Amino acid sequence: MSFEQILHQTRAFLCLDCGKCTGSCPVTRVDIAYSPRRTIERCLKGQPEDLIHDRYLWSCLTCGLCTTRCPSDVDYPAFVIAARTEARRASVEGPYAHHGVMQHLMGIMAEPVEQNRLGWLIDELKTVTHGEDFYFVGCLPYFDVLFEDLGVVSTDTARNGVRLMNALGITPVVSNDERCCGADLLLNGDEDGFRELVRRNVEAIRASGAERVIFTCPECYHAFRADYPRYVDSLPFDLIHITQLLAEHVDGLALGGLAERVTFQDPCRLGRYQGIYEEPRLLIEATGADLVEMRKNRDRSVCCGSAGWVSCGQCAKGIQMGRLSEARATGATKMITACPKCRIHLNCAIKDENGDDALQERSGSEIAVEDLTELLARALPSNELGG
Amino acid sequence: MMAMPRVGVFVCHCGSNIAAHVDVEAVTDYARTLPGVVFVQRNLYTCSDAGLREIKEAIAGERLDRVVVAACTPRTHEPLFQGACREADLNPYLLEFVNIRDQCAWVHMKEPEAATRKAKDLVRMGVAKARLLEPLEEQQVPVEPTALVIGGGIIGMTAAQNLADRGFAVKLIEREPELGGMLLRLDTLYPTGEDARRVVQERIAALRRHERIEVSTSSAVSSVTGFVGSYEVTIEQVGHCVDPGAAETKGEPDQALDAPVGQSFTAGVIVVATGTQVLQPEGMYGYGRTGYGQRVITQLELEERFRTDALDVGRVVMIQCVGARSAERPYCSRICCTTAIKNALEIKEVCPGSEVYILYRDAETQGTRYEAYYTQAREAGIQFIRYQVERPPEVLAERVLVYDEMLGAMLSIPCDMVVLSTPLVAGEGAHELAQMLKVPVDEHGFFLEAHVKLRPLDFATDGIYVAGTARWPAHLEETLAQAYGAAARAATVLSKDQVQSSGVVALVDEYLCRGCGRCVEICEFGASALKEASWGMKVARVNAVMCKGCGACASVCPTGAMQARHFTVEQVTAMVRAALEPTVSSLAVESR
Amino acid sequence: MGEFQPRIVAFACNWCSYAGADLAGVSRMQYPPTTRVIRVMCSGRVTPGFILEAFRRGADGVLVTGCHPGDCHYVSGNENAVVTVDKTGRLLELLGLDDERLRLEWISAAEGARFARLMTEFTEQVRELGPSSLGHGGAAPEV
Repeated sequence: MSFEQILHQTRAFLCLDCGKCTGSCPVTRVDIAYSPRRTIERCLKGQPEDLIHDRYLWSCLTCGLCTTRCPSDVDYPAFVIAARTEARRASVEGPYAHHGVMQHLMGIMAEPVEQNRLGWLIDELKTVTHGEDFYFVGCLPYFDVLFEDLGVVSTDTARNGVRLMNALGITPVVSNDERCCGADLLLNGDEDGFRELVRRNVEAIRASGAERVIFTCPECYHAFRADYPRYVDSLPFDLIHITQLLAEHVDGLALGGLAERVTFQDPCRLGRYQGIYEEPRLLIEATGADLVEMRKNRDRSVCCGSAGWVSCGQCAKGIQMGRLSEARATGATKMITACPKCRIHLNCAIKDENGDDALQERSGSEIAVEDLTELLARALPSNELGG
Repeated sequence: MMAMPRVGVFVCHCGSNIAAHVDVEAVTDYARTLPGVVFVQRNLYTCSDAGLREIKEAIAGERLDRVVVAACTPRTHEPLFQGACREADLNPYLLEFVNIRDQCAWVHMKEPEAATRKAKDLVRMGVAKARLLEPLEEQQVPVEPTALVIGGGIIGMTAAQNLADRGFAVKLIEREPELGGMLLRLDTLYPTGEDARRVVQERIAALRRHERIEVSTSSAVSSVTGFVGSYEVTIEQVGHCVDPGAAETKGEPDQALDAPVGQSFTAGVIVVATGTQVLQPEGMYGYGRTGYGQRVITQLELEERFRTDALDVGRVVMIQCVGARSAERPYCSRICCTTAIKNALEIKEVCPGSEVYILYRDAETQGTRYEAYYTQAREAGIQFIRYQVERPPEVLAERVLVYDEMLGAMLSIPCDMVVLSTPLVAGEGAHELAQMLKVPVDEHGFFLEAHVKLRPLDFATDGIYVAGTARWPAHLEETLAQAYGAAARAATVLSKDQVQSSGVVALVDEYLCRGCGRCVEICEFGASALKEASWGMKVARVNAVMCKGCGACASVCPTGAMQARHFTVEQVTAMVRAALEPTVSSLAVESR
Repeated sequence: MGEFQPRIVAFACNWCSYAGADLAGVSRMQYPPTTRVIRVMCSGRVTPGFILEAFRRGADGVLVTGCHPGDCHYVSGNENAVVTVDKTGRLLELLGLDDERLRLEWISAAEGARFARLMTEFTEQVRELGPSSLGHGGAAPEV
């Protein structure tokens, strides 16, 4: 796509120069040199190709706060992603975190590999290889290896998710053939890699006979909803996020027994992008926990600070510190996340805090990050918790 | 968009070392096809004056801003070509060295086609990295004009004396309570028959008179940090301290100051002269067996008998290669045959009418001097009996059995004493010292020099040198030459006001830094520290002089903020990609 | 051209394993020409990213070599290499790739013979595993 086409498709030509985007942007809040408004303006008035070589191209979190406030509905995140795709075509890639391991893993999963990804399953969980409901796990088994030193076991989310599904009487398909949803590849401009992953995932789901796919990860969920249809002829199954599923049947779950004070971090992809705000809250309150809201919640929620495993650094940390402050200010002991990425990034920030005496003094009280599925699983009648 | 760098590729024939096994012309032609390459050249010996001149001329004439040399190994020759770049006003870190000899031509000698293909791949990898190289700055490091000599035996003392005579301050550290080392335990030296103790005591006396030499006995190095020009050394006391005035220098006023132990100081260079020990052949040939008691001894123990005049024997059998040249210890300890001859001659002198038999595998008496020594031994009536390693001699209560190949018969030699010639083995504490200095030892525990021919007295680590039997067993005249040589090598650093510290260091891209502190934690040299940044958050900063360029920080950095310059993610990735690209060569070149 | 010739990428550290490789050359020890060595200052420089890059580009085998434990020129860099290779091995396992294609070996500057032997052994090991399934017309980006 030429930049002219990108500017048209994302409605950037309608930009009023009002600055609401920049005023909202969490990155700008930490680094005043970053400006969504200026980025668009430079492309409109100057050489858009310059953007390809600008490091700031990779700083956008695609959190969507700007676009929900833009009076002209300019789709800034889509603009950034399209620009990154052009950059990649010109052999320019972003400053990947973790030495590009995530991008490598995603790329390898796009090839015909026979993974070994079911080791997270334990005996008590009921799953099948063919059935109506397909549980899409995503990259959780890989996160387990990469984020061991953070003390985060990402596959806990998967186990708790299945536990909750089982509690509803659902025995989901768990497939060895599913692979990364590709959202982060697309976010980094790798359309070709994304296309391959789409093809293989849809094939795996089709082969299982499933009519509905259940997600615990909002990014995977959003990718399937918003991006997959552009790359396949048809998506012959329904899509549902676990919060929606559980909220529908909350009475049947009989949650209860918790009393802790918690706050909820709305994931960008679940909240602003998919409009799912109330279901997670309904579920949290059903457990008995005392839910207090951060000052910026729901569509004003602030991103966890990192996206796409690219451009991590001072901005990411600054945003995370800010968000953790907000969480502490509620008096909650726990910050509940409904996204495996939020969980990892916020835990990383907490670890940094713990290693830094000055920061710890400033930040004050302790706060822990817990995944929503874990909170809910704890609140199940049988009260089984485990890893 | 940056302009594409102009890369020049120089492929070396190395006489026939490379050219006999790799098609140098094909490699050069191939290099020309690589992106970014604007100039290629073949040299007979790129390291020759002519070769270096051609590089400099090409840099100027072709406006090269990257140089790739495909030749031997960077470990010996990179500094030479970097020097040529410097002289041509090109930053020396814009040079990439490709190893097509030690790791290509020499190891695929029977597969020239495959070797040529591999050389092409390696050049492609080198060019890919060269395109991404950046100019790096070196730091000036002041040189402390003091040498640390570890080991107060004859070699350490000789090196110390030499350095002090050149005008440098020397700190000499010796683990034992007295200076002198192995020579204190010997009686005479071969082939001259000089008194070993007299030789060493003269050296000690001269040393102690020297103003610039500070001696610490009963001392050992406990830690070393830093780098060439400024090594921070801490020494500690070991064992008991003996009043130096009372020991060797009888009657000489002791002017040398003994440094208080537990002190730290800075040294510009370090010379390792820690010597060796003699293998105790426990359980071999009856050594240490009850009842055999004083009968079976080592050559070193024999020296002691000479010194205490406690020798009275009629017939002695010496057995060579005890615990040497075996599966466990395959090396020859060089000095044992000459030592045996020396001691045999001495036995015959001290005990007139005595007989000595030397049971040997090979008589290692090389050169004019030692061949003559062997002849002298035979003229003195010393008997040499050859034994095969498959049929070693047998030591019994009063005699030794040995199978004589020449006669085809088993000989039974009644004797009063059996002397076992055992090899020199790595000194006690050598491995620990090596780890402290971060220098290598070989599989036998001897210190390993940077290169056996080209840098025989240097360690690969700049500013540390080695001499003596700590390096490998050798005759005294050889180790003394090494002592002078190591001192000369050390002086090349000490004589300068400053040295350059390498430009290959880490650098933080502050925008990508989270201030997580993993780099600070992992750095063994304290080169990384967290500092307040402009946004009230912390970022890491690297001290370029303390950084050794290992890249561990870059590996653990979760965001990619830490760059290991000259080995960045982009550069190494480019090499990996280039390694796995197909080698596309034109048909015209292939048909050979 | 019957037999499968593996393509192997090896990382060697400047102070130990690269020197050992040089020694093998100086001693004229012969080994198969299947490996391409990339010199790094320390085996601790090697990251999972580099290893996965190699496999993605079609490497049939990857070797990480460095100083023996305790002998690292930078004191503990090689311990980092252990962590890296372990982590990458587990990722390879998850991906269903044979983790025998990745190997960590300690080679000192004096061990020329060992280096040559390793080249020969590892080549054979990888040859038996067959060509890697990655990097041949897959979705690997041509960047």
